[in-house]
Amino acid sequence: MEYVGKIFVILISSILINNFVMSRFLGICPFLGVSKRVETAVGMGAAVTFVMAMTSLITYIIQYAILEPLGLEYLQTIIFILVIASLVQFVEMVIQKTSPTLYQALGVYLPLITTNCAVLGVAIINIDEKYDLIQALFNGVGAALGFTLAIVLFAGIRERLESSDIPKPLKGFPIALITAGLMSVAFLGFQGLIK
Amino acid sequence: MSEGVKLSIKLFIITAVAALALGITHAVTEEPIRLQNEQVSLEARKAVLPDAEEFVRVDLSEYKDEYPNVVEAYQGKAGEDTVGYVFKVISKGYGGDVELFVGIDAREDKVKNVNIISHNETPGLGAKAAGPDFLGQYSGKPVGSPLTVVRGSATQDTQVEAITGATITSKAVTEGVNSAAELYGRLLKDGGAER
Amino acid sequence: MKAVKVFFNGVLNENPTFRMVLGMCPTLALTTAAINGIGMGLATTFVLVGSNLVISLLKNFVPQKIRIPAFVVVIATFVTVVSMIMQAFLPELNKSLGIYIPLIVVNCIILARAESFASKNSVLLSIIDGLGMGIGFTLALLLLGSIREIVGAGTWFGMPVFSDGFSPAVIMILPPGGFITLGLVLGLLNKLTGRAE
Repeated sequence: MEYVGKIFVILISSILINNFVMSRFLGICPFLGVSKRVETAVGMGAAVTFVMAMTSLITYIIQYAILEPLGLEYLQTIIFILVIASLVQFVEMVIQKTSPTLYQALGVYLPLITTNCAVLGVAIINIDEKYDLIQALFNGVGAALGFTLAIVLFAGIRERLESSDIPKPLKGFPIALITAGLMSVAFLGFQGLIK
Repeated sequence: MSEGVKLSIKLFIITAVAALALGITHAVTEEPIRLQNEQVSLEARKAVLPDAEEFVRVDLSEYKDEYPNVVEAYQGKAGEDTVGYVFKVISKGYGGDVELFVGIDAREDKVKNVNIISHNETPGLGAKAAGPDFLGQYSGKPVGSPLTVVRGSATQDTQVEAITGATITSKAVTEGVNSAAELYGRLLKDGGAER
Repeated sequence: MKAVKVFFNGVLNENPTFRMVLGMCPTLALTTAAINGIGMGLATTFVLVGSNLVISLLKNFVPQKIRIPAFVVVIATFVTVVSMIMQAFLPELNKSLGIYIPLIVVNCIILARAESFASKNSVLLSIIDGLGMGIGFTLALLLLGSIREIVGAGTWFGMPVFSDGFSPAVIMILPPGGFITLGLVLGLLNKLTGRAE
């Protein structure tokens, strides 16, 4: 029971308290780049969730089955990024063959995920925090859900921003960043949720 | 040769050269990194128990279940004499784990110094816990009875003044110190420690 | 001179932070203090120059189809080298930059320069481009880090700037401060240069 509780804490903490976008600043590029429409934000979120869950599992296995026994921990960065790049490519091919509808919905976002630092970030955090396989998986899913939550909320606000009267120099990125700053204030409120 | 094979061979060559380069760098930096880590850890121990000249690691496997937050313990010696003990404790703070070293003077049964090595507390509030104003309060506290956190001014010897706006962090550090003091008492009783 | 032009292109005209809005994760996360900004900027500059150099050397060897994985391997190698050197000789800085050091691999600035500049230009120009972009990035991080540290902590490079009466605006060194400072600085630059989206 205690174990389930711990997993629950990891999940809540990665979605709300240490939200990847709002407090760890991971995955900012897609957060700013793919958040002009709610629909595309949802698509990006779904693609990231899938890849992050898979990455958490595979990098975990590679770290403890290959790198550590061989004393090759220093190759971690290079191996992980290659795994992520191949995984993204593989997922793209599988989705393309099995479900054209899903491919149409997610296809454009998949190549962007390789350079999403949230994916590599979660793989490294899983190892740094010494999570076990299940905890790593939940941390990956939680972080991805947190990313999705942030990007969808943000897209909702940005859709409205477009029709607002904004001072000219602030149009585009500046106002988007200030908006994100205010959202991040709200996320600060989740700190201290779990003691 | 088919194009696919050629491509794979080229990519393999690049990866192999990269791995070789990293292997060499690793071989060169391995020793300095190890020395550096040892140095940092030794300095952290010395900072909380300055009288000790060398530190002997104490086996904590018997106490793991009872004091899960105490991760390391050292017996500090000056020549043949035991001057005290150093405990590395991990406490749950407001923003995550707070790692601290607690030095206990065995000749006087008092807390010598407390130092925070890493934390993720709110800058300007909880982060003040790592400063000398807060940590200095622990120096000279008796180890026999648990310390308590009070808001406002401390009136008794076993009280510690909380940082304004960061009671959770203050309590986390105090609990860490209490665990170390308690475990120190246990070690003495069980004969694992000597004065 | 072309080399001079390439250099200042990176520092000013196409400044990766203020003009291209690339590499946002370390920009926002590590500008809580001026010193962190400089540390991250210089580590990134080293990787940029190294990867630009190697990639421009390899430009005829690497076929179009596998260029992205090949670039990523080169970049990851340099990042790992930086990380090992920092662990060995700059442990304090290494600790405060933390997870963002391995994450230099996915800093879009580096892959973008490899793809759009180093794979098409001579070795010398690629090195200069890497230097220019790296210095542009470092200066941007230094500026943001200084603003946030002075307003949010009342210090600059750890030295107190104000007299004792100053009570720092802690929010500036918290995550929201990162977003808001960058937004305002970008807006100000747009205003000054008359550019807007």
